[in-house]
Amino acid sequence: MRASIATRLAVMFAVASLGVFSLVGIGLQRVLHRELVHHQLREVNTRLEYAGMVVARNESLERWQTVRAKLEAITPLDGSVRFWVVGPDTRFEYGDAPSALRERLSTRGATGPFEFELQGHAMRAASRAIAPHGERPTVHVITAVDSTRFNDTLNSFAGALVALCLAGAALVTLLGHRIAKVGLAPVSSLSQEAQSLSPKDLSQRLRLSPLPRELADLVSSFNGALDRLERAYAQLEGFNADVAHELRTPLTNLIGQTQVALAKERTASQLEEVLQSNLEELDRLRAIVNDMLFLARADQGEKALDRVHTSAAEEVSKTVEFFDALLDEAGVSVRVEGDAQASFERSLFRRAASNLLLNAIEHSDRGAEVVVAITRQQAEVRVAVTNPGTPIPEQHLERLFDRFYRVDGARRNSRDNHGLGLSIVKAVAKMHGGAVFAMSTGGRNTVGFTLQDTAASPGATPA
Amino acid sequence: MKILIVEDESKTAEYLHRGLNEQGYTVDVARTGTDGHALALEHDYDVIVLDVMLPEMNGFEVLRAIRARKQTPVVMLTARDRVDDRVHGLREGADDYLVKPFSFLELVARLQAVTRRGRAHESTQLRIGDLEIDLLSRKAYRAGGRLELTAKEFALLALLARREGQILSKTVIAEQVWDMNFDSNTNVVEVAIKRLRAKVDGPHERKLLHTIRGMGYVLEAREDGASP
Repeated sequence: MRASIATRLAVMFAVASLGVFSLVGIGLQRVLHRELVHHQLREVNTRLEYAGMVVARNESLERWQTVRAKLEAITPLDGSVRFWVVGPDTRFEYGDAPSALRERLSTRGATGPFEFELQGHAMRAASRAIAPHGERPTVHVITAVDSTRFNDTLNSFAGALVALCLAGAALVTLLGHRIAKVGLAPVSSLSQEAQSLSPKDLSQRLRLSPLPRELADLVSSFNGALDRLERAYAQLEGFNADVAHELRTPLTNLIGQTQVALAKERTASQLEEVLQSNLEELDRLRAIVNDMLFLARADQGEKALDRVHTSAAEEVSKTVEFFDALLDEAGVSVRVEGDAQASFERSLFRRAASNLLLNAIEHSDRGAEVVVAITRQQAEVRVAVTNPGTPIPEQHLERLFDRFYRVDGARRNSRDNHGLGLSIVKAVAKMHGGAVFAMSTGGRNTVGFTLQDTAASPGATPA
Repeated sequence: MKILIVEDESKTAEYLHRGLNEQGYTVDVARTGTDGHALALEHDYDVIVLDVMLPEMNGFEVLRAIRARKQTPVVMLTARDRVDDRVHGLREGADDYLVKPFSFLELVARLQAVTRRGRAHESTQLRIGDLEIDLLSRKAYRAGGRLELTAKEFALLALLARREGQILSKTVIAEQVWDMNFDSNTNVVEVAIKRLRAKVDGPHERKLLHTIRGMGYVLEAREDGASP
């Protein structure tokens, strides 16, 4: 299971606060260090000034005693400040300069403040050369302060900083977790509410009013999904009822007729009559089952594979030719407009075209003209069948392609037409990556489908 | 003509046996894949009707085993009509493929189509009773009088005449005449037959074009001459 949002936020707070505190801590440490060094150097320089002045004023050997006394006097007992005088003549020296110090002076001269170690203590020092005067040759005066105390201060400061940083980060983490929990409370109440949604009542929705804006969007999308599910479910339930009805009718006829036939002795011709009628019913069942299987396969995403490149108008004309006798009987004529070359599965295309034509013929009066318009927009081929007819109300238009859907509730023509014709058109369109459409304007009803011509890649000029 | 039926469903096997027998075929039935395989190798059949779902050996296995030794035409039967199944069967060497529920008439038509291949060319002049059809000049005469037929009406008549005495289902007619190879759920064929009948049988006492209710149509010169 993935960590909760509150935990994740807390971890992020921890990392962020640790980062920020560390930066601040490092900054403070730097500033303090600089200030302390500055302070030490000022102290060293002040003392060096004084010691240098003492040394410069006394140029003879006997006066050197005064120098020693003065320097001794200003050397604190705890050794926190030390003085040395180093020169070529050991008589004009003070303190017992360690060899490291002498070496440094002889190699690098008296330049700038420097650091060195004396008996385990870190010392910060500065030196100055004093020009020869009288008996005294050039000597170097060196002053050093013990920086151990400063370093101790710095270290304990750093320790305190680290401890404070960690404590601060921990506090921020805890508070962050708490804040996240409080902030996310609407989410958990939402999830509780969602859990209480039951499949028994599909009209239940999540409440929008007490929610913050971010969640309101999510909830309205979720409610939208529920709306669609409810519609699909209702449709499915209706569909099941329709299937049952469509299958039950021929089954009832089959069972009833056969039972009646067998209840008494019948002549061969009477039995033949029953068998013939049964065969018709069975054929109806077979047609429904085949169509349902076809639709199920299309639902499962089966694609038209057997595609050939051919003329849509030619295929429509072949289909119209098939309907010739029927059109003649109904006194309806068909005009095919436009054309498009495309690759599609010929028998599927004809099946769709034949269903659309049949639909148009059924809903046309004598003398009417059905127009099949074929147009092309880039890779999309559009076949629209228009017939003059009574306007179809908007709420029926979008459901025209539903299985077993009929605009007139009474199941007229139920024998020839089990209401799957336009669903099959939709399935064929889907198998060709297309869609279906229906319009009703000015006493003209148009139903049709589009399909994607896979052969025509976008941007390529159609041949 | 000898036919082997390999089918485990007893009702199906039984009605196929009887039906094909009545159509004048000699029929053997095998109830399992292994029996079917043995019979197919032992005898020389003109065509084998092979179910896919079989005990012991499935239809594809039987087909493969037969193909290793013989080239007998095979028509496969299956309840599944996925394209892959169809392709699979045909790739393994089946000559045709029928999806259950199929119409018996369609099976007979397919069996004839499969066994007809390689036979001598059909005659171009057909005569049924006093109906004469010239397939080359595409003209038809009844009792010496020329029939005025449209191109499709002629194609329909020629189809029925070539299969004289054989019942043709609406599906087969739609497929052969209009190249519409799907269930169209329309009465187009009925209407077309009605029009053809008016022209062929209209004024004549003796009817040639008969309707077999629930099955299809047949063109033949019957003794009584009455159409049911």
